[in-house]
Parts: sequence; structure tokens; C-alpha cells
Amino acid sequence: MLTIKGLCASIDGKEILKGIDLKVNPGEIHAIMGPNGSGKSTLSSVLAGRETFEVTGGEVIYEGINLLELDPEERARMGLFLGFQYPVEIPGVSNVNFMKTAINEKRKYQNLPPITAAEFLKLMREKMAVVEMDNSFSSRGVNVGFSGGEKKRNEIFQMAMLEPKLAILDETDSGLDIDALRIVAAGVNKLKTEENSFIIITHYQRLLDYIIPDVVHVLYNGKIIKTAGKELALEVEERGYDWLINGN
Amino acid sequence: MVLKVKYAPEIPEVFKCRVPLEDTGQVYLMNGILREPYKDSSGVEILSGEESGFVINVPEGISQDGSAQLISIRDSENSTPVSMKNEIRLGAGSSSSFLICTHTLTLDQFVTESAINIEAAENSSSHIVVMQNEHNLSSHKINFTINLQKGSFVRVNIVTLHGALLENNIEAYLKGEGALCELNGIYLADGKQQINTKVNMNHLVPHCNSSQLFKGILDNEAKASFVGRIIVAKDAQKTEAYQSNHNLLLSRKAKVYAQPQLEIYADDVKCSHGATSGRLDQNALFYMRSRGIGASEAKLLQQIAFVYDVLEKIDNKELRDRLQDMVESRLRGEFSHCANCSMNCC
Repeated sequence: MLTIKGLCASIDGKEILKGIDLKVNPGEIHAIMGPNGSGKSTLSSVLAGRETFEVTGGEVIYEGINLLELDPEERARMGLFLGFQYPVEIPGVSNVNFMKTAINEKRKYQNLPPITAAEFLKLMREKMAVVEMDNSFSSRGVNVGFSGGEKKRNEIFQMAMLEPKLAILDETDSGLDIDALRIVAAGVNKLKTEENSFIIITHYQRLLDYIIPDVVHVLYNGKIIKTAGKELALEVEERGYDWLINGN
Repeated sequence: MVLKVKYAPEIPEVFKCRVPLEDTGQVYLMNGILREPYKDSSGVEILSGEESGFVINVPEGISQDGSAQLISIRDSENSTPVSMKNEIRLGAGSSSSFLICTHTLTLDQFVTESAINIEAAENSSSHIVVMQNEHNLSSHKINFTINLQKGSFVRVNIVTLHGALLENNIEAYLKGEGALCELNGIYLADGKQQINTKVNMNHLVPHCNSSQLFKGILDNEAKASFVGRIIVAKDAQKTEAYQSNHNLLLSRKAKVYAQPQLEIYADDVKCSHGATSGRLDQNALFYMRSRGIGASEAKLLQQIAFVYDVLEKIDNKELRDRLQDMVESRLRGEFSHCANCSMNCC
């Protein structure tokens, strides 16, 4: 599904990613952990196509295509989804209008006719139930006046609507209370199939109690310094990162 | 609902009104001259002014039956400068609404100057929407004077879509206690278009409220100015007056001059003003693109969202939706000329 080889990226001339190698197969859940400033969010931004970062080396192959040559919207239409650490507020654009536009742009790309109003409503209702979202959300401006937890639930809702093949969730658990965390995790688990994959970026083991990863990576100083099974997350929780960084 | 649309035979066929509303009478002014007088069942009448322009009389105490649309058109029948004097007389206790549209049909260098004097008698209430959509060589200046008596309410929403040089000067006088004046506007300009707005909100007596919300989107080398002043007289205690002006600049060469001003002589008032100019929010653009929305569509959504709260002030939903459609197609760049003309001459 996704193969990253030697990916290097910088912002304002400062190198953040210093050679990332990562392979994600269909149906897998990968967790990326690491201390602050290790490059976790940069990696997710680069994969989603944020232009503030400059890719200085390496390649990213997604579904057989060079991902780095595509615009952010093309990546999204091909089934890549980024759950934002800080979802953006867009006053004046209602959630309904936003999702309808997004879905129709994807359908246009797939050579499908625009979704009918009835189909869209049904889909909205179904997916809002996944994240236990109130109906009143739909007419409000995107993320406007949402609490931290509501914003993250909205990210999962959007993911559910767009049904991505590969979803990257950037610290979706940060700032969530335990109930919101449970809802978000349950949403991810409901959307999980044999075909789609997830990359979950997190600081804490906590989220990984609910979403069980197949592979755990530790990112430090722009490189993946350790890759192992789900037990690595527990070990990090217990021992911190120092033993990995210092190699003892 | 009865469709009271009247097409005067002299109206050139190239003109297409994109906002004909059900239950709304249409009256045409060709180069400043009223085609035929109008009267609806509630007694609202529209007559010719003394030399040119129109006079609207809303009788005392009536509630207008539907609404009336005044369509002012300039064409090559008379391409000399036209100056009009118009009156809107709102009888005591009446309620009414009007839509005033200005258009040009030929690519002449029209110069139009129009004075609109609104007299709002006690406890009258009126909602006036002005839509301006003219060719690239047309300059049109409207001088509004609004006199508000005790307990009256006048709301003017101006939607400026297209034109070379469009100016709106509004002098409002709150003369009776409990009067309320609300002015809102959207201005959209690109190319070398220029749109100037000037407001003087004069609070002369206590216990009056006013608000102003003007927003503009400027592209290319377009220019706009907003000079807004709230003047609160010494005796006008308990005044509440607000003003805001926000501008979105889509290119480096687009310019806006904003001058929000407060002149307060009373000491027990609530007043505020604010003006901003900014660019599209790059974070919001990336957010939308990451959901599969193309860059140009994402920019458009943001522009529509920017002016949305001004359009929301138009309380007739049908009219609001149609104006929103026009704003949207204007922002999509779908009209390089006045959108109401089928001639596509420029």
C-alpha cells in the first residue's frame, strides 16, 4: 500500500526528516511514537502534501504511484486521509456543505455522478452515529465553536464519510478525555477492514489500549530508530525513550 | 401567490433579471425615467419623480403586499450623464421591502448619479436591498440620505457585484428615540474596478441603535475604500452603535483603504468599530484540499464563507439564495461583464 524509502524533508532549510523507511501493507495498523520534535507531525504533513515542507530526498510510493508528485487533493481523492492534530476552523462553511463538496470531488475523480441528496443524508446519519455526533453538528461551520473532543470526533466522522484506504491520524488522542478517546477509538475500529490501513501517530500508549497496532515504530531525530510489535508501545510507556535513544 | 411581474415593452430583450421573485412587482427605470407607475393592492405606489427618478409612497399603517423591485437600466439610448432624485417615503407604522437593481446594457461610459432620500416616519419598518451589477466602463454613485423618526427601522443591504467605479455614500440621521438603522454591504471587485463606500451614522437623540457590517473581496488591481463614521451627539445617551469592515485581498496589487471613525460627544454609550484586511487562510485551504477539495474550489468556498454573514442579513430566504448564487458565480469568475445582459460585449 505505502512504501517510504529514505524520505528526507526540511522546513526553512532546517532538516526535520533524515531518511525515513516505512512499509505499510493493506489491513495493517502502524503506530508511530516518539518524543516531541522527533518529526512525527512533519511526516504526516509531508505524506498529505503540505507545501510548507520541502522534500529533499527519498521516495514515497502509494498504490504504485509516486505520491510526492501529487497535489494534496489528488492524494485525498486516491484514498489518503490525514486526521489533523489541530483541525482547522472554517467559519461560514457548514459541515454539510464541506462534506458534500469533498465527496463529490472524490466521485468526480472516480467518474461517478454527484451524490443525490437522499443518499448523502443517509450516509451522513450513518456516519455520525459511528462517532456519536449530534445532528446539530451538520449545519454548523466546520469545527467552529467545537470543543477539542468534538473537533477530533469530526475528524473521525470525515474519515468515515470519505472511506480512505490509508488514514494517517496525527495525535488524534491529544487533548481527549477518556470518553472521547473511547468514541474515537471505537470509530477507527468500526472502519477497519482487511483492505484499509492506518498510521497512528501518538505520544501515548493510552490510545493503543483501544486500537491494537500490528507494528510500532519509534521516531527520533528524523529517523525510525526502532520497529517492533505492539509490545514496544508498552515498553515505551514504562521506560520512556531514553533507552532507545542511548541504545542501552 | 400571484406573479405580478410586468415587462414593459420597451425593455430591451438582452436584459435578463436573475432575481425575479414571486409576489414581487417589477418597475423599470430606463436611463433614469420611470416606464410606468405602479401600485399594489396594499396601496404602495411607485411614481415618477419631478424630472427623473422615482417616488415610492408607502401609506401609513399598511403592511405591504409582497415586495417591489425597481430595475434601473442604462443603455445607449442615452449615454450622457444621468442624474436622478429619488424618494422613498415610509408612512408611519408601515412595513415594506424593496429591491433596487442597477444595470447597464451597452458598453458606453455611463455616468449615473442618483440620490435616494429615505424618510422613515414613526414606527415604520423597511428592508431595502440594493444590487449593483454594471459593465466595466460604468460609473455609478448613489447618495443615500436616511432620516429615521421615533421607533422606525430601516435596513439597507448593498450587494455590489460589478462595475468600473461604484460609490455608495450613506448619511443616516437617527432623529427619534428608539430608531434602528442597519447597514450591510458586500463589494466584489477585480480587474481595475473600484468601489467606494462612505457612511456617516448620525446619532442625534438618546436610545437609538445602529449597526454596520461591510465586507469586500478584491482581486487583481481592484481598489476599494471604506470610510465609516459613527457620530454620537452630546444628548444621545444610551446609544448603541457598531461598525465593522473586513476585506479579503486575493492579489498583491489589490488595495483597500479603510477608515473606521468614532466621534462621540455623549458619555453613556456603547460603540465599537473594527476594520481588517487579510488574505486567504492557508491552513484552511490545506485542510480542505486534504479532504479532496481542489485548490480553486477551496479558495472559492473560503470566499463565499467570508461574505456569508453579510448575505445572512437579508431575511427573505428566496432573495438571499438568489443573491448568493450571483455572488458565487461572480466569485467563480463566470461573469466578465454585467451578468444580467446576454450580449457579452466585453
